[in-house]
Amino acid sequence: MTKLGEADERVIVVNADLMNTSRNRKFVERFPDRSFNVGIAEQFMVSFAAGLAHEGFIPYAFSMAPFMSMRACEQVRTDVAYADLNVRLIATYAGLSGGISGATHWSIEDVGIMRSIPNITILEPSDGIQAVKLLDRTIDHKGPVYMRISVDPVSEIYDQTYEPVIGRASVAAGGDDAAFICSGSVVSAAVEAAAELKKECGISVRVVDMHTIKPLDEEAVLSAAATGYMVVAQDHNIAGGLCEAVSTVLAKDHVSAEVCFAGISDRFVAMAHAPYLYHMFGYDREGLKEKMKNLLGITGQ
Amino acid sequence: MEFGRSSVEDMERLNMTLQELEKAALDIRIDLLRLCNREVIHIGGDLSVADIMTILWQYRMDYDPKCPDDEMRDRFVLSKGHASAVTSLNQAYIGCFPVENVIDEYAQDGGRFSMHSCSLVNPYVDVSTGSLGHGFPIACGIAEGLRLKGNDKSRVYVVMGDGEQSEGSVWEAVANASHLKLGNLVAFIDNNDLSADGRIDELTAMTDLAGKYAAFGWKVYECNGNEMSELKDIVDNLPDASSDKPVAVVAHTVKGCGVSFMENEAKWHAGKVTEEQLKTAVDDLQGRYDRKWGKM
Repeated sequence: MTKLGEADERVIVVNADLMNTSRNRKFVERFPDRSFNVGIAEQFMVSFAAGLAHEGFIPYAFSMAPFMSMRACEQVRTDVAYADLNVRLIATYAGLSGGISGATHWSIEDVGIMRSIPNITILEPSDGIQAVKLLDRTIDHKGPVYMRISVDPVSEIYDQTYEPVIGRASVAAGGDDAAFICSGSVVSAAVEAAAELKKECGISVRVVDMHTIKPLDEEAVLSAAATGYMVVAQDHNIAGGLCEAVSTVLAKDHVSAEVCFAGISDRFVAMAHAPYLYHMFGYDREGLKEKMKNLLGITGQ
Repeated sequence: MEFGRSSVEDMERLNMTLQELEKAALDIRIDLLRLCNREVIHIGGDLSVADIMTILWQYRMDYDPKCPDDEMRDRFVLSKGHASAVTSLNQAYIGCFPVENVIDEYAQDGGRFSMHSCSLVNPYVDVSTGSLGHGFPIACGIAEGLRLKGNDKSRVYVVMGDGEQSEGSVWEAVANASHLKLGNLVAFIDNNDLSADGRIDELTAMTDLAGKYAAFGWKVYECNGNEMSELKDIVDNLPDASSDKPVAVVAHTVKGCGVSFMENEAKWHAGKVTEEQLKTAVDDLQGRYDRKWGKM
């Protein structure tokens, strides 16, 4: 954020008492005049950011994904999206990454909510390098952006030469026998699963990193479907999320492929650490590998 | 920086007499009723807020319809978005578009004017509103944006209803505007004591709004919001836009003001008048004006 603040004086940070969790303290210290902390008032934070955007600024508003997408939902929709403003909504605690905080701090609906609101570009980075580079790209992006970020540390997938493009999926691992389509923290698990499938079964599985959920890269979906086998996975409710977005493309284009979805199976569960929950819902490395093997009809070791 | 509007036009506007302002408000009310004869509008609230809207758009605000994006203009946010008819009519009277356009296009498919203000079709609307408790927090962002740009001349005028005061987001804004020392923000509350379901004191008992805003550190004025002289006195003597306290004007008004069969009747929150009702209403309004200023 500090780099963005240096690059463009229209950049403003608005917090709602989650500056430390959102890790933008450096910006606040470097640019106190362009930093606001409105207290625990997410609705005001989003409307206030909309007002700043009306005056030509590029506000970055920070909160946890459940509060950004639900507490301030109408403000996002009516104050930001309806007016097509350059507000950036940066939301941590995506999916079940809030883990032991429990369902109040999980965000398993946010993508569904944001997907159904016109004008909003939805981003979900899969590693630190991608997150930083996508954030850089948001400066010149026209219209509102919602970025959901997991709190889990993930293994780095990309190196500094990587240049993501908003709206175009990245290929985190090549392969033509089958494909994972996933986003966020699930991508690194899929990369590991793909590597093991190659080693253990000799099949080469592509990992499509769908860092932009909306607008969805339909070509990347169709290309993955052409392999004949797809596991679509996201740290989100299967309803409303990436799985549903991908299936819409398949239905629209009359594409037939063997498809399996991995995500939260439309229910609330009690708090637990994130890896335990990912395993429970079958989108950790092991679960993804298992699902792909089932899809391909590979049994045993 | 120079305004788009010429200094002569500015002078004419600011030299409007009390009688001229009351005549302007009378014309607005009669147009509202003509419109209400054609379409269902939020006539009760439109009539209660008509004087506030008239003095802001036709007198107080520096706003040139030839340059609606002028950086140095005053900003306006209609937080009670359902008062769009009275806003559009006032915009018409300062030359944004012909008055008859508002009456003809209102609530017509493909038209520019409807139940709530929409910036997609009306370039003189900065902020689309309708859902309550939204415009006011946005106005705070606009006011802070002006400060950041070093514009200490423009003000942000926001008009709310008293029913709207029940929204939690209003109080998030009240606290933050004070904290941010937004002296360039002027919030009018059209305090007509009625909301859609009836008397406000029978709903949430949001009493003593002036005391509540003052307790949050606002500069508060209280007045009869249907008495042009009181409104004029307030807008003529606002603290400087660069001052450090946001301003609230708690304007006590009468829903349906000026029309005998509508005054203080919750059922006239929204509705349509018959030809006969229109005639009665216009007679009421004209009579009220004539009694004060003499027949023209």
